[in-house]
Amino acid sequence: MTAPPLAAAPPRLRRPSVLAALTVVIVGAAHVLAWRGADVSPAALAEGWEGMRDFLGEAVPPDLSWSTVVRPGLDAALVTLYIGLLGTTLSVPFALVLAVLGARTTTPNAFVQQAARSVLSFLRAVPDVVFALIFVTAVGLGPFAGVLALVFHNTGVMGKLWSEAMEETDPGVREALRTNGASGVQVTSHAVLPAVLPQLAGLLLYRLDVNVRSSLVLGLVGAGGIGFLINQSIRLFRFDEMLTYILIVLALVIAVDQLSSAVRRRIGR
Amino acid sequence: MTTATPDTTTAALSVRGLRKTFAGRTVLDGIDLDVRAGELVAVLGANGSGKSTALRCVIGLERPDAGSVRLHGEETAGQAGRRPAAVSRRAAMVFQHIHLVPRRSALDNVCAGALGRLPLRRSLTPLLFPRELREEAMACLARVGLADRAGEAVARLSGGQQQRVAVARALCQRADVLLADEPVASLDPAATTQVLDLLGVLARDEGLAVAAVLHQPALARRHADRIVGLRGGGLVIDAPAGDVPASALDDLYSHGPGPEGTTP
Ligand SMILES: Nc1ncnc2c1ncn2[C@@H]1O[C@H](COP(=O)(O)OP(=O)(O)OP(=O)(O)O)[C@@H](O)[C@H]1O
Ligand SMILES: [Mg+2]
Repeated sequence: MTAPPLAAAPPRLRRPSVLAALTVVIVGAAHVLAWRGADVSPAALAEGWEGMRDFLGEAVPPDLSWSTVVRPGLDAALVTLYIGLLGTTLSVPFALVLAVLGARTTTPNAFVQQAARSVLSFLRAVPDVVFALIFVTAVGLGPFAGVLALVFHNTGVMGKLWSEAMEETDPGVREALRTNGASGVQVTSHAVLPAVLPQLAGLLLYRLDVNVRSSLVLGLVGAGGIGFLINQSIRLFRFDEMLTYILIVLALVIAVDQLSSAVRRRIGR
Repeated sequence: MTTATPDTTTAALSVRGLRKTFAGRTVLDGIDLDVRAGELVAVLGANGSGKSTALRCVIGLERPDAGSVRLHGEETAGQAGRRPAAVSRRAAMVFQHIHLVPRRSALDNVCAGALGRLPLRRSLTPLLFPRELREEAMACLARVGLADRAGEAVARLSGGQQQRVAVARALCQRADVLLADEPVASLDPAATTQVLDLLGVLARDEGLAVAAVLHQPALARRHADRIVGLRGGGLVIDAPAGDVPASALDDLYSHGPGPEGTTP
């Protein structure tokens, strides 16, 4: 019934090329090297199972005494949230300026553009934990060091994301305003920024979510918040205390994540 | 505000010997075009014949390789730099895809037409726009029949209404030469008639010089005073709308070699 095909269908499988074979060999070799280099040892995991069980045995049930554990834990969790919030908000002006200077659509000068991008790359490349260690030596142990660390690192990450959003704006509106005689700054403030504002807000909320989680890790290196308490209870072998803190962290992270994605959904519409 | 000052000696827009080549391909090969105050000129031509390029050269979005663009007898910065100078602000352009800021109100979008003459401290955000500008913009919206929608976000207006807001933005620029690149290509017949009627009124009653790229010869005949046809890099038609024979229009779109031997 069916009409004869005009041309034979191509074969299901093409002969593998030399390049494909070579790629497989190289990727395979890389994994062998990585396995050895990272000291991966299933045997050690099996032997260590005992230790893990002891550890869990001590952690469960969690220590839920209100005045010595839960209350300080909640207070510290609030500090962690504060660090994440301030670290995000205070980086907004820096991220905005660097994003505008680094985007092709808002900055015609190639030198300025490259300079701004380099600053952003540097801030992004240095992990927030490293910034935290630096600032702990500068302003001492405590949440402020964590805030500073987040401001620096988040400026790099958020500035890059914002810059990319600005580069993807519709060239038509920019062109139209330029024919109205608008200057570069005016085109930025009347065509680019209004178009990307919802996206910038969405990325900001996403970063808030990430930063609250990072501020936890910052606490581990002495920059305040509940991470600091977790670190302490591990060092004192108070694993039941630690479990309580981790449960609090879990609740905090889920709450911030839910809130941020709910707001982002609303903006997206 | 612009008043009808029909100027028969110098055309409002005068293009001479306009040439433009993209990567060795000559798109415009010496175009001469005059648009006088008070007339609506339809620019016709097949896809790729260079209609948009010609308009973009006039407005300063492309830099011509040769030729001159004069507005009221004054040379524009078209060839010298990308950014239109004060003279070239007398020309404005509207586009097929409208290019308004959808989230902003119609009024704020119209005010943006004045950006070229506002200092930065009065124009960094719409909140800083002077009161007189907002009044002028309201008047521009009234001229396109949309004063009652001034506060509404542009995204909530229909395509035809949006195109009229774009025309109002051009008016707020105080332009007296209005270029329109396929202003009705995305509009339904009713909105098309409305927008082209508006362009006709702006030309005949308010004395603007209007050049509009159209894709339908019938619309050009109905609305335009004059028709120019682009083919093979040159103007092969330039005559009052009533005097253009149908065969000439058919030739414009027929395949096969044009006068310069270029095929699409
Ligand atoms: N920036 C550019 N770079 C390279 N070639 C271009 C550029 N702009 C236009 N062209 C070419 O110039 C020719 C004319 O294009 P133009 O857009 O002016 O035609 P048009 O008459 O407006 O066509 P349409 O009816 O499709 O809008 C086309 O072949 C196009 O590919
Ligand atoms: Mg075109």
